[in-house]
Amino acid sequence: MSATQSAGERELAELIVTALNLEGVTPAEIDPEAPLFKTGLGLDSIDALELALEISKRYGFQLRSDDENNVRIFSSLRSLAAHIESNRVTA
Amino acid sequence: MQSRPLRITAYTLCSAVGDGRAATLAALRERRSGLSANDFGPSPIATWIGRVAGLEAQPLPAEFAHWDCRNNRLAWRGLATDGFIEAAREARDRYGANRVAVVMGTSTSSIGASEEAYTRLDPDGQYPADLRRPIVHTPHSLGDFVQHALGLTGLSVTVATACSSSGKVFAQAERLIRTGLADAAIVGGVDSLCGSVLFGFNSLELVSPEPCRPFDVERRGINLGEAAGFALLEKQAPSGAWLLGYGESNDAHHMSTPHPEGLGARLALNDALKRAELRPEDIDYINLHGTASQKNDEVEAKLVADLFPTTTCASSTKGWTGHTLGAAGIVEAAISLLALEQQLLPGTLNLRAPDPACGPQIQRDNVQREARHALSFSFGFGGSNCVLVFGRDR
Amino acid sequence: MTLRVAIEGVSFWASRLPGWDVARAVMRGEQAPPETPSARPSPTLLAPTERRRAPDTVAVALEVAARACEASGRKPSDLPSVFASTHGDVAISDYMCSTLATTPTLISPIKFHNSVHNAAAGYWSIGTGSLAPYTAISAYEYTFGEGLLEAATQAVCEQRPVLYVAFDIESKGALSTMARSRGLLGAAVVLAPANQSQQQRGLILTTESVAECHPTPARSAAASLVAENALAPCLPFFEVLASSSPRTLCLALSRQMALNVQVN
Repeated sequence: MSATQSAGERELAELIVTALNLEGVTPAEIDPEAPLFKTGLGLDSIDALELALEISKRYGFQLRSDDENNVRIFSSLRSLAAHIESNRVTA
Repeated sequence: MQSRPLRITAYTLCSAVGDGRAATLAALRERRSGLSANDFGPSPIATWIGRVAGLEAQPLPAEFAHWDCRNNRLAWRGLATDGFIEAAREARDRYGANRVAVVMGTSTSSIGASEEAYTRLDPDGQYPADLRRPIVHTPHSLGDFVQHALGLTGLSVTVATACSSSGKVFAQAERLIRTGLADAAIVGGVDSLCGSVLFGFNSLELVSPEPCRPFDVERRGINLGEAAGFALLEKQAPSGAWLLGYGESNDAHHMSTPHPEGLGARLALNDALKRAELRPEDIDYINLHGTASQKNDEVEAKLVADLFPTTTCASSTKGWTGHTLGAAGIVEAAISLLALEQQLLPGTLNLRAPDPACGPQIQRDNVQREARHALSFSFGFGGSNCVLVFGRDR
Repeated sequence: MTLRVAIEGVSFWASRLPGWDVARAVMRGEQAPPETPSARPSPTLLAPTERRRAPDTVAVALEVAARACEASGRKPSDLPSVFASTHGDVAISDYMCSTLATTPTLISPIKFHNSVHNAAAGYWSIGTGSLAPYTAISAYEYTFGEGLLEAATQAVCEQRPVLYVAFDIESKGALSTMARSRGLLGAAVVLAPANQSQQQRGLILTTESVAECHPTPARSAAASLVAENALAPCLPFFEVLASSSPRTLCLALSRQMALNVQVN
């Protein structure tokens, strides 16, 4: 049974599904601890760039592609949501 | 039907290093890059570009005002260089205006004009009056302009397969001539700087903040450039370099990343050598695609190291011109032809420490030596690959 | 100059002519077009990552490409292809121009990488795993004729079958006043060198210089359904294919060059 999403995680899940036009998965179905890239949701590097763009538009801060913590930040919905929470500029 | 060699009886190019063959050759000899810090548009991103100076002040002649836009101005500038228009008109008179095909390559054509229109929409959201010319807001803007500028009335097509566009035009023209649909062809390509490519490639993080360094271990991405180039191909002529063959393929891998083993590129290369009846050992010079992107250069370096002997010299000339996208094929074909004419094989600018994938073939310095056969590689976005084979005038 | 090719597969898609069976019947006057427009086709041959990114151009082009290959019995990966579109992805062009005019640093990487004129061809080659070369062309109002000629030329020159796909989509925004096109339209044929095919149906293509080209107009009930799409000039060709008797038609290659097409 997948872990429950927090409100922030649900909001991010909705952004991911919309921004990437994901088919066959609803925001609520994204396991917050499952991988986002390669396995799990199976996103690729172009998706990462697209997500970085949407996140910057929504939350007002830039995800840096050369950030050495990216593998960890992007490893799951939960880790990405937590990173957004600590860096967001918009309410 | 086997493909047949064609004579290249005229050719020209216009890029950030200058207008025409002599200016380009001087820049190659003197190792003088045409790249400059990006100053294009209202809020330029931090990168380097290959910009052609003066286009802003050079509208098309009044009779062609209908087609006026940066891309077609650059096309005109190229046509007006090295006596190319005269050569084209002479071919038109000799073969007939309906027997000389026009096959042009581009990636964005004149989308810059549409971009401009959107910054100046009138209060009703309509285009400003000076830009209400449908022909410049469509991909065939380039092919249509060139056909009209040269007074030709037959076949005219614009090929837009990203970076392989103005390489593939040579192949397309050879088939038209071989089947007898045309007796000669004007091939070439033009691409100009515009927001779409600058901000678009920027969004994919493919753009370098410094002058590009093809094949360097510390390369940081591409520099965009603009250019125009043209060649006149004929079935028979008493002199001129030769188009000996070509190869085309796809990677079938990913829209913006090359096949990791260069599978499509190898197929295109094999096809090209087969058509030209040459082996890798016969190739003196390869003008590589060498964009300075991480992936392209890695894959391409390995391909060259695997397949060519140490006697083949290879280089990327994008450190001189930038990556001219849909014009890269023709610009680099022209540079390959200059190399064969002058027996001067250009090296690679800004190459300090070669990527470990590079073999001994990839040259930093220019090499002056006898050369009979050259290849030009163009590997495009969307996985479209083209390899051209050129032979010295004999 | 004459080229002879066999037609091995035909396909067609417009929102009220969703598929060659329907389109052919409407063109022959055998049935009325469906009242309800169909939604854009879903490019099922693409892997999920590519499928979710596919814009309308890719959706309609891949649909007709796949159906034409099925009809021909040829494997897509064996076929070089010619993709032709008058305006390309004009919806993405509108997006690019609008975004550049307001927030240029916020260009979507996915939309940009879909903006190349060869996007449909690229997605097709990825979806089918085809290493055979493709090209992507435009010739403004002469796009369909030039593309057909290019496909036939390749088939004859390389002595192998070729897939020809043509499409145009609906324009959006201010650009729609300059690059006019309504609705989605796609059509495709598989052509083979005449001596390599068992097919009875063939084309004899001849180019002709004329003082001014007068292409054959569209005549069937299908005409009004696609008239406002930029690729509408393709319709007379498919109307002739829809009929079972030999016919000729004229397509324009330029203002002064005609492509005479004899369909057997």
